[in-house]
Amino acid sequence: MYKILEKKEIAMRNTWYKVHAPHVAKKVKPGQFVIVRAFKNGERIPLTPVMWDRDEGWIVLIVFTRGKTTARMANELKPGDEILNIAGPLGNPAEMEKFGKILAIGAYTGIVEVYPIAKAWQELGNDVTTLHVTFEPMVVLKDELERAVGRHVVETVPIDPNLDFPTNMKNVTKRLVEKVREMLEKESYDLVFMVGPTGDQKAVFEVVKEFGVPMKADLHPIMVDGTGMCGACRVTVGGEVKFACIDGPEFDAYEIHWDELIARSGYYTDMEQRAMQEYMKLIEQALQGGEQ
Amino acid sequence: MAKPKLIKERVPTPERPVEERVKSFVEVNLGYDFASALKEAERCIQCPPEYAPCIKGCPVHINIPGFLKALRENADNPDEAVKNALRVIWNDNTLPAVTGRVCPQEDQCEAPCVMGKVGDPINIGKLERFVADYARERGIDQELLKEFIAETDGKGRVAVVGAGPAGLTCALELAKMGYKVTIFEALHEAGGVLMYGIPEFRLPKDILKTELEKLEKLGVEVKTNYIVGKTVTVEELLQEYDAVFIGTGAGTPKLLNIPGILLDRIYSANEFLTRVNLMKAYLFPEYDTPIAVGKKVIVIGAGNTAMDAARSALRLGAEVTIAYRRGREDMTARVEEIGHAEEEGVKFEFFLTPVEFIGDENGKVKAVKFEKMRPLEERDRRGKRKIVGTGEYVTIEADTVIIAIGLEPNKILVEASGFKANPDGTLIVDENLMTSIPGVFAGGDAIRGEATVILAMGDGKKAAKAIDEYIKDKKANA
Repeated sequence: MYKILEKKEIAMRNTWYKVHAPHVAKKVKPGQFVIVRAFKNGERIPLTPVMWDRDEGWIVLIVFTRGKTTARMANELKPGDEILNIAGPLGNPAEMEKFGKILAIGAYTGIVEVYPIAKAWQELGNDVTTLHVTFEPMVVLKDELERAVGRHVVETVPIDPNLDFPTNMKNVTKRLVEKVREMLEKESYDLVFMVGPTGDQKAVFEVVKEFGVPMKADLHPIMVDGTGMCGACRVTVGGEVKFACIDGPEFDAYEIHWDELIARSGYYTDMEQRAMQEYMKLIEQALQGGEQ
Repeated sequence: MAKPKLIKERVPTPERPVEERVKSFVEVNLGYDFASALKEAERCIQCPPEYAPCIKGCPVHINIPGFLKALRENADNPDEAVKNALRVIWNDNTLPAVTGRVCPQEDQCEAPCVMGKVGDPINIGKLERFVADYARERGIDQELLKEFIAETDGKGRVAVVGAGPAGLTCALELAKMGYKVTIFEALHEAGGVLMYGIPEFRLPKDILKTELEKLEKLGVEVKTNYIVGKTVTVEELLQEYDAVFIGTGAGTPKLLNIPGILLDRIYSANEFLTRVNLMKAYLFPEYDTPIAVGKKVIVIGAGNTAMDAARSALRLGAEVTIAYRRGREDMTARVEEIGHAEEEGVKFEFFLTPVEFIGDENGKVKAVKFEKMRPLEERDRRGKRKIVGTGEYVTIEADTVIIAIGLEPNKILVEASGFKANPDGTLIVDENLMTSIPGVFAGGDAIRGEATVILAMGDGKKAAKAIDEYIKDKKANA
């Protein structure tokens, strides 16, 4: 059981949790993740420690409210409550080398995974530029990144209330691709790194490829155990089947079979929506009950 | 003296009717009651323990005639009879409710049973299960547990990695000897394959959890969410503990290296069973973990894992076919479970090897292409007939595929700790089950590759004895 020391909404649909998890805090390195199970009948979801204190034994998780589990966490967990399970650290640490000039891109809440890696790269002597592209009300870690790296660029897209969310997201993709192209045209980089939705990673990769710059991507396939025992997170990299949880999550973007990965991430969309709808129904019932 | 009258046929155990059980995950076999257990126990001819072939056939050498005798001696006092029988069993095996259910008795204790030569062998597994179940239901096991709690002062501390059958047994045996034991488990529940692999209809999780409560009562600490190799290293464990036991199993699925392996709705059996058993995805959306099973499922493989996956898929409402590259007599699953699968309506196709998964325009699997195989007279190392392709192909429609062709050890631990290992990832150990790192012992699937629960438990027990010797020597020479 892992106590929530702090919990706050730091941006629209973005919740900050500072959690007591000394076993993870002691060992975690940039690029590694944890598997969290917050509730008794809950599922296991992968999340990334953004910050940690090895002596005090805490880690920070920033969670985007995306579906049932993350919504339940945002609604039901309070400071002082306990998260049932946090397993980790898992996955391989990011490669810590002097690459030179790095462009590290985070789309939406992906920037929170970029943060620890970009910070460590900068500390190692790399010249790191971070780029965060997201909706206007969803900017997070701006001050922290400005302090941590050479240059932090924030590009926001307004949410058009007349459009549905998927259509709005297309605008983010568009801006992302434009901005990356603009930055690569203006300056030369030795490495591009990106965390974000798989479709956006692929779109950015298509641009980066034109410039011939090496690129790494942190992948987000579906995970269950996170320890290599099921293969739910399998991806084709360089023509070989790899398990993202033990062989990754970071891979060479030029080796990834992007289309296959995009297809795999949509496997449970129907059930995810059903879980969310049922949960919303429960909340509505609870609200109605409260009014009586 | 009158010649003992042999009763050739075993007393049957009732089972839930097929039409009822395929609709739920409740346990299929209902087990004995005291009267029928006694009747079955009375069939045992009581071979002397030093000779009894059943004891030799059991990997943890339970005194089988001894516990059956204990039942018979108190025929008019069931509670006393069960308590005495359970004491005999616990001396060698602390998880009888599990082993009575999942052991392949037909290959082990029941195979050499003398009664089997004239009729049915004694139903040892079901009797073991009866003793454990009756004791649990009446709280007899809690009373008896007190006898097994040992003084732990100063004997030593042992770290056990993995809370599966090997690790649990090793921990329980060491605790009974008076060691202070801590188990490190990667998942959020202890039990290993007993928890995530074997379905409720063979091993109800409530029963397993009650069995696992013994750990706490005997003073064993369980740390879940610890991935040894990542959260903590073996080196670090060695600084804190007098010895380490590795029981990390063989949990990495082998996948087929053929086109289409990444299509939607192709599961490894491990993923499928973990979702169903550990995460209770069959209760979605009451439980949050989803599972997507279509109408036509093909399971590839014919071991116990394949049977478990097939019967689970059936319970989720699918029509299920098991496709196996060899023949009926080559199947490695337990005879009882193959029988259950057939009764429940699982179909079997033999001599088919998958060569390609065919997908639809959305990336979902829609069929599996197989090559037809033919058996040869020649046999492989494991005594199975060799097979060759015929060059003929057949395509079978399926909207879900579950791959159950075997497992290999997880590489996290070996890579992180520098153990000497075989090319298949199994750890190399000496005759005392000690690995290439002094003070670190290993057993179960981690050294054997995919084997059985009871062999893992046998290793756990053997390693506990070796660890005891090792620590005693170490302290004597210190």
